[in-house]
Amino acid sequence: MALFTRPRFQQAVKALTLLGLALFLYTRLADGTLFFYINQRFLAYTVFAVVAALLIAASYRPGAAQPAAQSHANLTLGGLLWVLLPIGLGLLFPPQPLGAAALGNRELTLTPSQRSVLPAAVRAAAQKSAAERTVLDWLHAFSASSDPAQEFAGQPVDVVGFVYHDPRLPEGKLLVNRFTVSCCVADASPVSLVVQWADAATLANDSWVQVQGVLQPGEFNGRPLPVVVARRVDRVEQPAQPYLYP
Amino acid sequence: MADMWVEESQLSTEEIPVSSEKLSDLARRRRLRVGLTLLLAAAALAAVFFNVWASGAGLLYLYQQAQTFVTIFLGIFVEAVPFLLAGSLVSGLIAVFVDQSAIDRYLPKSALPGALVGATLGVVFPVCECGVVPVVRRLYEKGLPLSIGVAFLLAAPVVNPIVILSTYSAFGWGSIFVGRVLFSFLIAVVVALLFSRARPDELLRPVVFRAHHDACCNAHSHSPPTHSARDPLPGVALLEQRLTRSFNLAGDDFLEMARFLVVGSLLAAAMQTVVPQSALLSVGQGPVVSVLVMQALAFILSVCSTVDAFLALAFAGTFTTGSVLAFLVFGPMVDIKSSLMFLSIFPRRAVAYLILLPLMLALLMGIGWNLNLGW
Repeated sequence: MALFTRPRFQQAVKALTLLGLALFLYTRLADGTLFFYINQRFLAYTVFAVVAALLIAASYRPGAAQPAAQSHANLTLGGLLWVLLPIGLGLLFPPQPLGAAALGNRELTLTPSQRSVLPAAVRAAAQKSAAERTVLDWLHAFSASSDPAQEFAGQPVDVVGFVYHDPRLPEGKLLVNRFTVSCCVADASPVSLVVQWADAATLANDSWVQVQGVLQPGEFNGRPLPVVVARRVDRVEQPAQPYLYP
Repeated sequence: MADMWVEESQLSTEEIPVSSEKLSDLARRRRLRVGLTLLLAAAALAAVFFNVWASGAGLLYLYQQAQTFVTIFLGIFVEAVPFLLAGSLVSGLIAVFVDQSAIDRYLPKSALPGALVGATLGVVFPVCECGVVPVVRRLYEKGLPLSIGVAFLLAAPVVNPIVILSTYSAFGWGSIFVGRVLFSFLIAVVVALLFSRARPDELLRPVVFRAHHDACCNAHSHSPPTHSARDPLPGVALLEQRLTRSFNLAGDDFLEMARFLVVGSLLAAAMQTVVPQSALLSVGQGPVVSVLVMQALAFILSVCSTVDAFLALAFAGTFTTGSVLAFLVFGPMVDIKSSLMFLSIFPRRAVAYLILLPLMLALLMGIGWNLNLGW
């Protein structure tokens, strides 16, 4: 412990901790897995964090300055472990986007409720052709209609998402889902479409699929809504950007 | 979770040991603290794992829940780190470059003007609820009057250009936009006025208080202040050395506060993994319950104030206007991670007041809004 409180040692530990944090953020940034955690629009902030952490780490180099005299400065072993915990957990669990396991305790969004959405997003969704629409675009489009089940019947659908077997669904149906993230995964909320597919049971939760089919009137949990009657369902690679941004 | 909260706050408000204490006693206390810290981390994980285990699901499901927990935890942490770093850098620069006599000269000392000025300081220092904490602590050590600091701490995460802009782009010009800025300002002022009735030594952690006291109240004494508060670096004139020192101090601040951020993010992620959101949201639509639900949600989600307006938009159609407003006003002031970070400035009792007073005031505001203006 005496070693741990020695000023030179403290300086070195602090520098290495900040360096470790910068490195951790940088590797996540470099391989794109950073966006499993936060919305793309925060990229600049993370870049800033990497630079700032490096600058501060460099300021601890030996001989650069006297060790700080103002002393809520000393880093204890416990404090150090807390700061290293995110890096430890991040290395222990390989980066993965939220999946079916997170759907269990979240409110599914698949009925066109009266929920208000950005009018601009709804307009943008309306301008896209049916084949270009994502799961989120479809929900935006539904929300603009008073009777989407009938109004959208017959329109072609081509969406990508991950599979979730909701216990409320009968056999031969599944949900195809994406998470929307406006800030970081703490505010992730799922958007889902009901898919009717004879071999639904062969697809495991969390497998990524491309669903092509046609919308038909149907229901989920007693509420009428458009259901995708699938023509074909193909397994695909998890997209580089697994979340959608509202 | 409640036990953990108490334990953690005991850990973090540890007093800087008085000189009479033996060194061996110090070492023992430090070992105890490390032990408790590890135990706490284990308990946090165990709580999550047990909850899943109890639901009778298999090992794979358990692993997936743990994965979800880690992803959410890292999400909150990674999103908050840049803001905490920025706040720490500002704090370091203030420590080295701001002469404390400037604070004496330009800022009001009495309670009401102080609170009003404090609540508008965010316009000059655009910070969110993570970045504001190191800045306020540093300013207190420079002798900032208490009421200014409290008002700044509570109001700055909303009353600043970035957040005002993001609220405007989410909700447009209207009652929610005006209400958010106005009520954040008012609640911060009221809480600051209440806090100004207390003595500084009741409200600040001993280590912060000593520096605060030296800076503000020893100005005319003959004994030299212990922290050399007048000129932070008497011998050091070179800009480069001053910058290095301010970066050093920024790093110290960051590493100390990151601990609170980590614990707060862990708690928030655990709550999100364990507590079903749908249960919370289906609880109530009434004018009173809906406000409480949205406040609880704001506290648990711990989303940064710069973006929570977009999140609140999702609830605007289904929840009462008063409750959405309470989410937007209360959330930036107090949430799991920021209230843990408050512990680096204030003792536990003061932090409890800092949580409860805004909670009550925002609740009153939300209910009043619902009853008078309809929903």
